[in-house]
Order: sequence, then C-alpha cells, then structure tokens
Amino acid sequence: MSPELLYAIGTAATWTGWIALLRAAYLACRLLTKSPGMSVEGTRRGLAFSALVAGIALLLGGTLPMDLGRPQTPAAFHWPVVWFAMGAYAWLGALSVVMALIRAGQAWLALTRDETKARLSAATIWGAAGVVFLGLQVNSAEPVTILRGQIPLSATTAVALVLLALGAIFAMGIAAGAVRARGISIAIVTHMALLVGCLVFGIPFAWLLVTSFKEDRDLAAIDGIVWVPRVSERVPYLNPERPRYAALDKDTSVEAEKLTELPGGKWLMEIQSPLNRVGATFEADPQSLKVVPKMVPVVTGTFEGKSIRGMVVEELDGGDRRVQIQSPPEVKGVEFVANSEDVDAVRHVGLNFKNYPDALLYLPPETQMGLVYLKNTLILVFFSVFGTLLSCSIVAYAFSRMRFPGKGVMFAVLLSTMMLPGAVTLLPTFLIFRQLGWIDTLYPLWVPTFFAGAFNVFLLRQFFMSIPMELEDAAKIDGCSFLRTFWQVMVPQIKPALAVIAIWTFMGAWNNFMGPLIYVNSPENMPIAYAVQLFQGQRGGEQHLMMAFATMAMLPVLVLFFFAQKYFIEGVTLSGFGGR
Amino acid sequence: MRSRCRPIVLVLAALLALGLACPVVGAPSDTAKRTRIIVWGLALGPDSKGDEANIREFERLNPDLEVRVLSMGAGGMNPQKLMTAIVGKVPPDVILQDRFSVSDWASRNAFRPLDDLVARDRDDPLSPKPEEYYPAAWNEASYEGRVYGIPTGTDDRILYWNRKVFREEAENLRKAGLDPDRPPRTWSEILAYSKVLTKFDKNGMLERAGFIPNYGNSWLYMYAFQNNASFISPDGRRCTLNSPEAQEALQFMIDGYDVIGGYAMTQQFQGTFQGNENDPFFRGKVAMKIDGDWIPYGIARWVPRLDFGVAPAPVPDDRYYLRGRFAGEKDQFITWIGGFCYAIPAGAKHAEGAWRFIKYMTSQQGRLSNMRAQNAWDKLRGRQFVTRVQAHIATNAIISEEFKPSQPNIAAAVQLHIDMMRHSRIRPATFVGQKLWDEHVRAVEQAALKKMTPAEALAKGQDTVQRDMDEYFEKEKRPVIDMRVPAWLGLAGMIVGIALLLSNYRRHRLGPLARHEARWAYLFVLPWLFGFLVFTLGPMIASLFFSFTQYNVLSDARWVGAKNYQDFFAYDKQNMAKAFMNILYLGGIGVPLGLFSGLAVALLLNQAVRGMRFYRTTFYLPAIVPAVASTVLWMWILNADPQRGLVNAAWNSTLTPWFGLAPPGWLSVEQWAKPSLIVMGLWGAGSGMVLWLAGLKGVPTTLYEAASIDGASPWQQFWAVTMPQLSPIVFFSTVMGFIGAIQQFDSIYVITKGEGAGTNDSLLVPVYHLFTNAFTYFKMGYASAIAWLLFVIILILTLIQFRLAPRWVHYEVER
Repeated sequence: MSPELLYAIGTAATWTGWIALLRAAYLACRLLTKSPGMSVEGTRRGLAFSALVAGIALLLGGTLPMDLGRPQTPAAFHWPVVWFAMGAYAWLGALSVVMALIRAGQAWLALTRDETKARLSAATIWGAAGVVFLGLQVNSAEPVTILRGQIPLSATTAVALVLLALGAIFAMGIAAGAVRARGISIAIVTHMALLVGCLVFGIPFAWLLVTSFKEDRDLAAIDGIVWVPRVSERVPYLNPERPRYAALDKDTSVEAEKLTELPGGKWLMEIQSPLNRVGATFEADPQSLKVVPKMVPVVTGTFEGKSIRGMVVEELDGGDRRVQIQSPPEVKGVEFVANSEDVDAVRHVGLNFKNYPDALLYLPPETQMGLVYLKNTLILVFFSVFGTLLSCSIVAYAFSRMRFPGKGVMFAVLLSTMMLPGAVTLLPTFLIFRQLGWIDTLYPLWVPTFFAGAFNVFLLRQFFMSIPMELEDAAKIDGCSFLRTFWQVMVPQIKPALAVIAIWTFMGAWNNFMGPLIYVNSPENMPIAYAVQLFQGQRGGEQHLMMAFATMAMLPVLVLFFFAQKYFIEGVTLSGFGGR
Repeated sequence: MRSRCRPIVLVLAALLALGLACPVVGAPSDTAKRTRIIVWGLALGPDSKGDEANIREFERLNPDLEVRVLSMGAGGMNPQKLMTAIVGKVPPDVILQDRFSVSDWASRNAFRPLDDLVARDRDDPLSPKPEEYYPAAWNEASYEGRVYGIPTGTDDRILYWNRKVFREEAENLRKAGLDPDRPPRTWSEILAYSKVLTKFDKNGMLERAGFIPNYGNSWLYMYAFQNNASFISPDGRRCTLNSPEAQEALQFMIDGYDVIGGYAMTQQFQGTFQGNENDPFFRGKVAMKIDGDWIPYGIARWVPRLDFGVAPAPVPDDRYYLRGRFAGEKDQFITWIGGFCYAIPAGAKHAEGAWRFIKYMTSQQGRLSNMRAQNAWDKLRGRQFVTRVQAHIATNAIISEEFKPSQPNIAAAVQLHIDMMRHSRIRPATFVGQKLWDEHVRAVEQAALKKMTPAEALAKGQDTVQRDMDEYFEKEKRPVIDMRVPAWLGLAGMIVGIALLLSNYRRHRLGPLARHEARWAYLFVLPWLFGFLVFTLGPMIASLFFSFTQYNVLSDARWVGAKNYQDFFAYDKQNMAKAFMNILYLGGIGVPLGLFSGLAVALLLNQAVRGMRFYRTTFYLPAIVPAVASTVLWMWILNADPQRGLVNAAWNSTLTPWFGLAPPGWLSVEQWAKPSLIVMGLWGAGSGMVLWLAGLKGVPTTLYEAASIDGASPWQQFWAVTMPQLSPIVFFSTVMGFIGAIQQFDSIYVITKGEGAGTNDSLLVPVYHLFTNAFTYFKMGYASAIAWLLFVIILILTLIQFRLAPRWVHYEVER
C-alpha cells in the first residue's frame, strides 16, 4: 500500500475516533444527568457503540506506520493529524461551498414548494459567495498546503489521560448521585471551561510576576520557560587586599573601595553599591570608614578530582572566576581559577526580590528612584479626578434639572462632541498650551478636566434625571439656593455614579500615555505610564527588571481594583446602557 | 449613603497628601549662583564613565557653570521630543545630535548656527577649527554653508568575518572554488561565500546566515555609495533615490537575501538575535557582517578570544578591478560614515555656556581626557578599553598609539576603521534627510519582500521625498498666513455662538423667577461652555484651517489650498491605503472576536455557577492593566526567541515536534504582527464580558419560560430570545469598538518605539501616521488633514451604524 493512502486512512480513522470519543463522553454525561424523556436503554447502547468505535479507530490511527519522511520520535503512539494551511479566502470559500451543498440537499428534501425555493436561493447565494472567494483565492495565489503531523502519545501520557477521564466521570457520577440535581454535570463542564479560561487569562500575569523575581540566568532557558525562580546562595566575604567599606557620601550610605590616598590623609573612595552610583568617587576620612563584607556567590565544582564547595572571590576576564574553597576541610582556603563550565552556582528555590530595587536604581538619579514619577502621577490623578467630578456634576445638574433658553441646542452639541476623535483637536490644543508656556509641565494633562467632558456629563445627567423631583422641590420651598440644592441635596444622591466616574478618571489619568508623550520632556515632570515606555526603550532587554518595573507600575491600579471592584464592574454596566 | 462614599473622599485626600508629600529632597543649594546647562542625548551610565568624568572636569574648569544631563527623557534619535521642546520654548542648551539629521533641523531654523562662535574663538586653543576635522564629518553637520554642529565621533563600516566559521567550512568553500583564508572582496564573491556558509535546519529554517545584507550597519547607503549612486542631485533640488546605480545596489541586497532563504525568513531569524555576549556574530550564527567602529569594543569586552578578521566591505566587481564605469576611480573600496555632533537648539537659554561646554568636549584635550577616564574605569572593572574613531584627525593619531589593543586582530580592526576614513562618503546634507532615510528603509523592505521591483520601490520613495523637496522650494510662492487669522476666526466663531445664544435667550420672555433660574444655569454650564469653546470648537476650526496650510510651527504657515487632501490620493496614497487597510483588519477581525469571546465567557458565567465573583474578577483583571504595561508584557510573551518568549516556548514544545512548524516571529513578522496585536486586545476583553453579563441578567426570565413552553430548544431560545434582547449591547459595543479601533495608538507606539511602523508598515494606523507627520516631520497641516479625514470617517461609520440599527436592534420601548 502506498504511504500516502495509509496516511489518509490513518488520519480518517483518528478523526472518526475523536468524534466517536466525544459522542461517548456526551452520552455518558446525559446518562449521569438523566434528563426527563430520555431513553436510558438507547443512550446506553449508543454509548457502548461509540466507545467501541472510538477505541478501534484511535488504535488503528495510532498504530498504522505513518513515517512520511518526518523523523519519528521514539514514543509509542503517534496520532496522525491533517490540517489545511490556507488563507482566509480559501477557508471562506470552502465554508461557502459546504453551506451551498447543505442548502441544496435541504432543498431536495424539502416538503413544500416555498421551502424548496427558499433553500435553493440560499444555496445559490452560498454558491456565488463560494465562487467569489475561490476566485479571490486563485487570484491571490496564496498556496494551499496540507500540514501533516503527528501527536506523540507516550505510555505515561496515555495512562494519565485515561485516569483523568475516569476520574472526571467518576466525580461527575458521585456529584450526580449525591445531589441528584439536574445539570450538575453541565455545571462541572462550565467550571472546567471557566477554569481553562482563567488559566489563559491568568498566565500572562503569573509569568509577569514570576519573571520579575527571576535571576538573570533563568531568563532564557533552553528547555522551556522557567516557572520556579531560584536564587543563588551568597556568603559574606572579606577581601584582604581590597576591603570594602561602608561610608556616608552626600548623606546616603554607600559601600565603597579605596582608590588612592590623597595628600592630607584623606582617601579617595569609589562607590560599589548602590547600583546607580557605582563608579562615582568621593573623599573620605579613613576614621569614618567601617570594613564590611561583600556578598559573593557560592559555587560547587571539582578541584583536583574532588568535589568542592567554595565562593567566588573574583570575577575575571572572559567569564573565568577565582574560587576560594570552603569545604571539604582539607583544602579549605585554597584559591583556584575556574572555568565557567567547571563550577556551578548553588541555588535554592526562592524569589529574587533584588530585581525591584535594582529596577528603580537604574532610573535616572533625578527621579529619586521613581518617587518623582509616583508624585507626578498622583498629582495628575488627583487633579483630574477632582476636576472631573466637580465640573461634570455641576454641568450635568444644570442640564438635567434646570430650565434655560438654549438648553436643547447646547445639549445636542455636547452629545455630538462625544463623536469627535481626539486627534482633531490634538495639534491646535498643543499650540494653545505652547502659547501658555505649559510645555514640559503637567498642566496640559489635567487642566482640561476642569471643563467637563461630554461623556461623563451625559452619564451623570441620566442619574440626576432618575432622582425624584420632590426632593428638589422640598429644598426649594425651604429656601435653598440652586448651588446649595445641588451641593446638599443632589450630590449626595448620585455618589455611586460619582464613584464610578472617579474610578474611570483615575484609570484614564494613570494610564494616560499620549499626553505625556507630547507634553512632557524632563524626568522631573514625567508620570509613570510614560516612564514605563522609556524604561522599555532603555532597559527593555533586561526582562526581569522590566517586569519588576511593570509590576510596580500597575500595582496601584490593581490594589484600587480589589478595593473598589464593585464600582469598576458597575461602571462598565452603566456605560453600556446606550439603548436600554 | 454617606458612609458608603467616605472611602472615596478618603482615597482622594490620601492621594493629594501623598502626591504633595512625596519627597523632593536633596534640592541643590550650592548651585543657586551657577548657570545650569541642560544637555540632552548623552547616555550616562556605568558603561560611559568617560563622558561623566569629562563633564565633572569641565565643571571644575568652569566654576560658574553646572552641567545637567537628562539621561532619560529625550535624545538624539527621538526627534519628536526635541521638536516639541524647541517649539514649546523649553529646549535644552546642548543636544548631541545625529549629524545626518542636522540639515533637517537647520532648515526649520531649529538649531543655532555656530559660524560666528567658531570665527570669534579662532585663537582659543579649545575652539574647533574646520581644517582639523575630516571634511566629510564637518560637512555633514553643516547646511547651506553654515555650521550647525561640532562633530564628536565618526563611525565608518567595514566587513567583519568569523574565521572560525570559515575554517569549519573550509572544505565546502574550496569545493566552491573559494579561498577559506581570506574574506570576500567583491559583491559576487560575498554572495558566493554566503551561499556556502549559510546553513538551514531540518525544518528549513535558517540556522546560520553567511551574510545578511542589512544586518549590522550597512543599509542601502553602503552599497549605493559603493556603486557611485548619489541620493540628491548636486544642486540639492532633486531626489535621485531611483538612480540605476541605486537600483543595482538594491538588487544586490535582494540577491543577498535570496541566497539565505529570503527576506521574510531572515526577519524571523533576526527576531531571535540577542546582544552582548550572545551576539549572533560572536556565536557564529552570522558568518560575515558589515558593521561600525563600536564592534571592536564589544569584542574586547564580551569575546576577547574571538577568532575574527576584518576587511573593507566588498564592492561591486567592476570597482574592485577598476574597470568599466569605475576605470580611473581613486577609491577601490568605499565606506560611509555617520556620527554625532553637539548642537545648540534655537532659543537655548544659555547659548554662551553651551558653547563653552561644546568647545571643551570637542577639543583635543577634552577628547583625550574623556578617553583616559573611560580607559581607567574599564581597567578598574577588568575590561579592556578600545577607542572609537574620532572626527578630529589629530586625536586619532594619538589614541591609536596610546590605547592600542593587545590582541592583534582587534588592533587591526581599529586601524582599518581609521584608515577607511579616507575613503568615506556621507549621507547627503539635505533638509529631507530624515524622510529620505525613512523612505529608503521602506523601499528596501518592500523590494526585499518582493512586493515591488527595486525600481518601483525606489521610485515610490523618490516621489515621496521629491514632494517634500518641491514643497520646500515652492513654499515661497505660497501666500504666508498671518497666524492671527485662525485666532480671529476662532474668536469670531465664539462671538457668533454667543450671539446666537443671546438671541435665543432674548426670544424667550422669561419671568423674574425663570430668569433667576436661567442665570444660575448659565453659571453652572459655564465650565463646559468655556471648555467647549476653547478646547473643542476653537481647536476644531483651527485644525480645519491648518489642514489647508503648510505649517511646521517654527516658520510661517502658508496657504496651500486643498493640496493636503489631494495628497491622500497622490503621493501618500499607499501609506494612507495601508493605514486604513490595517485598521480594517484590526477592527474587522478584532472587534467581532472581542465581542464573541466576551459573549462566550458571559454565557458561561450566566450559568448560575458558584464562585462567579472569582471568575469575573480574573477575566476582568487584564482589562484594567495600563495599556503601556500590558503591551510591554505582551512584547515579551510574544518574543520570537523560544528561550525567552512564553508563546514560542509553548509552540516549540508542542507544534514544532508535532507538525514540524517553526514558531513565527510574531510582532517582527509582517503576517503575524496584526494577529499579535489582536490577541493583545483580546486579553483585555473582560470589560466587554461584564457588559454582556449585565445584559444577560437583564433578560426577563418570563421570556425564557414562555419560549420553553412553546417547545423552543436552548439553541432556538438563544437566537429568538437572548440575542434580540442583547442587540442594544451588540450595537453599542460594535460602535464603540470600531471607534476605539480606528484610534488605536498607544500599544503601536510602544511596540515600534516611535520609529517606523513594523515590518512593511504592517502596524501603520491612521493616528500613528498622523502623529508621525505632526511630531516627527512637523507637518501640522497634513496631520490636520488626516485628523479631519478620520473625523469624517468616524462620523460616517457612526451614522451608518445608527441608520442600520433599527433593522436588527430590538428596543423594549419603541421610539
């Protein structure tokens, strides 16, 4: 038999097997749930048949020799798979042709003349679409290739799969038996689907966090992604030749080494830590210095045939390291130069928290480890929220509760500005702020919020409308002015809506990127969102630091979300009632 | 009610307190008397101590000055920041600027000419003197006969070849009639070598590339200069990008890509490249490359024992043998140079101090002390210091002796870089330098992808550049617009508006109470009214006005009529079409996919499951992650390198062994860039999910009961009950989704870093195009026209959607 034919048979058998297996699982679920009006006997028979077919077909598909030039991995079974690799047009064309055939078949089977007509016209339309798409496909000259491959199934995976399936069915059985509630298996399936979804949505987060705690060497791994971060063990080491000193420079404590002695008894010191000041020099009085140990990594390796454990006392050119042996005792204290392959760092599972301060230390010094970014963002957020709440609520109040000539026109104008893309006003607004001398300040980012955005006004107006008139009338009768009515009677009524708007504005201001990109130049005035992009540009290659910085940048938002989740989710719902 | 909202007030108060209390400690006290010179573009850090030491030295010599380097925030290669700073009248005092773009800035009067200062200080030993510099380097920083920048370093390009790879393949090279002991010298030789040295893995993917024409730092400029092409006519008025010489050079590059499996595969291969010690050339993944004078330093630092050789970059065969067109040519080999220079932006507050800074930094004394400091620093860290070529001729002679590397091959590389300076060419000093660069990159890409022939691609680029040149030379003919006109127009608009309102007000006969109410109401809507007039209506009118002008903010605006709009269909047709096709792709696939996935999750969650809060939180969480942070995260997740990128790691352990499919390069590959962006968007689909959920909860159960009594299956119930009830949400989400998709910007800017728009413009979108035109080329007029086009399109889309809505949207209350 030709291998091509064998391959086709194998594939067909596999697909049949999968479908039969799915049907068996479905019938099993139905048996367990026992929906009313179901024939138990028939279902059982169907289940048995499907399971049999599935078993035979999958076995057949798995065992047929399917080596078509592809190197075969030495696993037990390979399930052959065939897939058409083709462009969107080809897929659409194939779909249309299939639909046309189905509709044509239905037309042939139809009972009434009307039905025949309707089906036929549908078939014609699908057919036409098929011709168009296939024509486009031919025209685009995109190749249609058949992907042939195989999914290896080793014995252990097979056993695990079977066990898993058995377990699931067993669990479903117990649940069905215990509760006897209809649809419990559906609930289980739902949960499964939701859990899978959670996993898909959660994995990027998990990866972000894990990566932010990784050591440099775990960032790239040949055998897949490292999910368990490890940290190198370090021990204190006092270098007799180049001692390290703790010192004070410009009122901050640093660790430094001596460069030279200056005339007058002072020493010229060079900073070794923290990172952002490495290499800077200062003069110090030798009396004020205190010797401190340096933390060096612990390694294991072999020395003269013995396995040893030692510490790296010096990093040499070209990746070599000078190692001082700590154990076994007979060679303790011996130093030797080790090739990077000869020794291996001792590491244990743990989180490398150092990435976080390191990421901040790499920021420009004038940002004071990112605190300036935080300050700017907080100022921006505060004024934006304050301005939006104040201006939008008062404008919305006027539009909802007060009568004045021109109200209708003005409100229509307000609504129509919602459609205006920000790009249209971007350039002239830039020129206006330039005229005001506000480039490289935060003003252009928050001052406009004091002038009531259309969307928020619209939303608050809806809220004001739902408040009973009586409240306001009572206040008026008591002699309240409009301002007082607004402030003391109306505002308390719409606090939930204000909370939602506050949160949106918070998010908008925190995430604002284009604004700072255009208006802010110096780090002193930069908010966090922009700083993240700059960090990506400058230190993006250092994945762990980047992730640590990104985590810090999104942390406040996440915290806010967990405390005010209700408003976030209500808020989205509020916005959605365009038509309701 | 009260207690419920207390937290928000508290949070706000805390925010303000935190914001104001955040320390602004360490305010300089002793610097009050000193003038502060602000410098952009210098990257200070652990690896560049020379500059830092030099700055301290300068400060010591000039006690009245204080130098402040803004390390992050701007720099030579981010023109947008520099331009907004100059335009916004807060420019730095000194900028370290890429020389080839100097003329661009000079033509816009953005830099201060330095001739007067150079002439004035001729007797000052520190002051730069033109004759002490390589003419090519000096001229590159000049424009129309005036000096705008003082060159610092200068980088030329030579061929690096990995001897180890050559030795390994010696047998095969000999078989092909090539000598494995020497590098290629001509174009045809390098292609032959590349063919032998290139290796593919069992899946047909590149494992080692012999020679990638545009990897390292060669560009079309290298090959075109070698072939005697010039990009601008001698009089500076015509762009000659599409000369036969340039076409030949481009054809050579395409041949070079064909030898190694084509451009697309190479792009993907390059997507896995890393830097530092894992540099593909060091690792032998690329056997030969043309690169600049920064490479010896990297070799000395990362792979001091690398067995490599250097040679002048291969030239056209005829040039090498000095025959045909090249007979009598004096340069057998050719390289091109670039480099940076110090310039003073127009409007700098302390030009005199800035000049003193520049003088010191570019003087021989300054250069030497810079390098000595760097040398001392590198020694201290156990590294070897290798010099780079200086634009100052005398300095090179000194440093090549003083800092001669101990390894002979690194020393040879440094020496060859210095020697090749005598055969150097520069990119034309023209005000369209940036545009020419961008368009040449685009042309190379399109030709290499075989979307166009070399001639077509170059012709397109040439047209685009030519148009800018014409615009510039013709601008004298266009009438100057007094910028007060749009201001007056805006004001007039406002007055008319107010007058209309007033007349409306007059027509109503109001009683005293009503008048009292109306006045209060006007007071209340005043914030909006003011904001609308100043930040919406005024700018709208102004922007409409600008769209009929040519305006770069620094010089006068000129009236060009509908030219900007005509350009959509003329020279910028392809970019605009591409931008809108991309949006169609992103919106047409992304929006429905987002709707669908949101609905699917919501339907699952609507099954009255336990732990719904947990699920809802998890699905919603990604929606609140800041766009910039999530893009950065996804750029890593989609990293092409299977050892680093999450998706490709998974792909490599499943699909590759199963089907033999190599993982794609995602964002760096044309076909996958947009799908990647859509996936990023889907991750944040949680907000849609919440909306659907609310809608589903709002469907009255009586409807389902009625339907099931009528015998409707769950499927029928879904289509007949659920969907019509949800149709307003579908409608709302579609409209908002499309409007959002059209205005996509943030994530694309983060991905592209503001340079280019992805491979073959695969990520070019209208707002990004607008932004580039406005803030990179500073074509405010054209950008305004794009903005208006966008506005009209959004308006039409929305109207169509509202018009179609009644056909399928079901409202509970008929309207």
